[in-house]
Amino acid sequence: MQNLHIPATTYSPQVDFDFSRHQLSLRGESYPENASVFFAPIMAALDAYLAPLDHVRISVDVQLAYFNSASTKAILAVFERLNDAAVAGNYVTVNWHSDPDDDTIMEFGQEIAEDNPALDVHLLELV
Amino acid sequence: MQRDNLAVTQVAGHLLDKPPVVSPDSTNYQVLEVFTSHEGLANLPVVRDGQPLGIINRNHFMSMLARPFHREIFGRKPCTAFMDTNPLVVDYHLPLTELSFEALQRGGKVLSDGFIITVDGAYAGVGQGVSLMQALADQQAEKHRQMMDSIHYASVIQQSFLQSSRRDMAACLQDYFMVWEPRDVVGGDYYYFVKRDDGFFVAVIDCTGHGVPGAFMTLIMASALKQVLGSHDLHDPAALLGAINRQVKESLGQLADHERHPELQVEVRSDDGMDCAFCWYDYASHTLTFAGAKTPIFVLPPKGDEVEVVDGNKKGVGYVSTPLDYQWDNRQVKLKPGSRLYISTDGIIDQIGGAKRICFGKKRFKEHIIKHAHLPMAQQQQGLLDAFHQWQGENSRRDDVSLFGVHIKETRA
Repeated sequence: MQNLHIPATTYSPQVDFDFSRHQLSLRGESYPENASVFFAPIMAALDAYLAPLDHVRISVDVQLAYFNSASTKAILAVFERLNDAAVAGNYVTVNWHSDPDDDTIMEFGQEIAEDNPALDVHLLELV
Repeated sequence: MQRDNLAVTQVAGHLLDKPPVVSPDSTNYQVLEVFTSHEGLANLPVVRDGQPLGIINRNHFMSMLARPFHREIFGRKPCTAFMDTNPLVVDYHLPLTELSFEALQRGGKVLSDGFIITVDGAYAGVGQGVSLMQALADQQAEKHRQMMDSIHYASVIQQSFLQSSRRDMAACLQDYFMVWEPRDVVGGDYYYFVKRDDGFFVAVIDCTGHGVPGAFMTLIMASALKQVLGSHDLHDPAALLGAINRQVKESLGQLADHERHPELQVEVRSDDGMDCAFCWYDYASHTLTFAGAKTPIFVLPPKGDEVEVVDGNKKGVGYVSTPLDYQWDNRQVKLKPGSRLYISTDGIIDQIGGAKRICFGKKRFKEHIIKHAHLPMAQQQQGLLDAFHQWQGENSRRDDVSLFGVHIKETRA
């Protein structure tokens, strides 16, 4: 399956889904004018990648600074899919990076951990 | 949309310039003479029997002639020696946008050499690269102006929806502020306020999106709110949220697969709704009943030194992922006279800024509330906004901003 790499813009994050090594990362800000257009191909690739996986260790790195409400929904959907994959027998580690002074991003990470109990979420402080 | 606008309908012919021309039989000496007598002439078209053959660029011609012995060798030769035989030739009626794409395909050449304009295949004149750029810039500015005019008018409509709330707030509250700043003239933030004899109702709303789509959503929400208020009790904010959720999900078809009629297939699925705080304040009991959809309220008790955050439920209103029968919770908060209440959409909390370019955040927001708490609300507004703008600094505004603050006074009879 083809890896997915989308470079960051002012309005959208860098997406680096290295499916061959089971390493996924999201970095930057997300407030595109049309979030569903931006996230649709990402979700499609993720779904296609996750569908056949069994007993695989997936590592996810997230370092976001800002995301608008439409992007929030898309990002939550990404973690729901990953949670489903974990329930289905894979092992998913999420490294959630945030600045120690950034309570907004930290709380979002906590929310994702609470909503998706099958994920192994690590809230990490950026130094 | 007006159609008679020149800038929108401009064609290549509008850039027509008629410089002197030479025939292909003219010598390079004659071309030199033309360039010398027409100082501003950058490009000289070569035309025979009304047919364009090429363009001689002044700089190129002069530098060729300046080479050793070239003047002697080429001086009496036909001018086609230093002519560009393949200039861009376009019809008078070619739209500017297409002209610009054709010009780009030729690389930088058209900018320096210009292009030839024909009418029915016959030479009519030339267009200069710089006039093409000017025309494109004008066209861009004109389109931008038209769009902004349209958005500014949309803002008049959107603000008219806030008038009754503004009026009721001013009539009901003595010490308060209401900041409403859409990021892009119009926006997805909205507020609603209504006064009753036994208390007041206030809603601060953040619809999905900003700009024009956000503003559409505020109108949909305003109409849903109005309908729901006709049939539901204002004293029960959670029930209002539940009713609006059902109405929006059904009217926009934002149903989950199992909520949808099996025969109903939709091709375009929207997933828009609102995050909001709905509050009813009861004068007699000094009690605020609050129901929140992903929006907290901030409360500072009289003489308090810590701001209490009261969270709402974690579901937004109207979205596909919010169940049709979802029930929000009412939370009761005592607001004795002297208490202060603040409600903000996420535009302030989530704004990127500061030295580390991170979110403003609730912690800083609360610190600034405490810092300005002793002041009248109008001055608090200034203090909070100053802090916010300072945090934002050079960063662009990320979202619409709404902020409501009220200092609860002794109940009026």
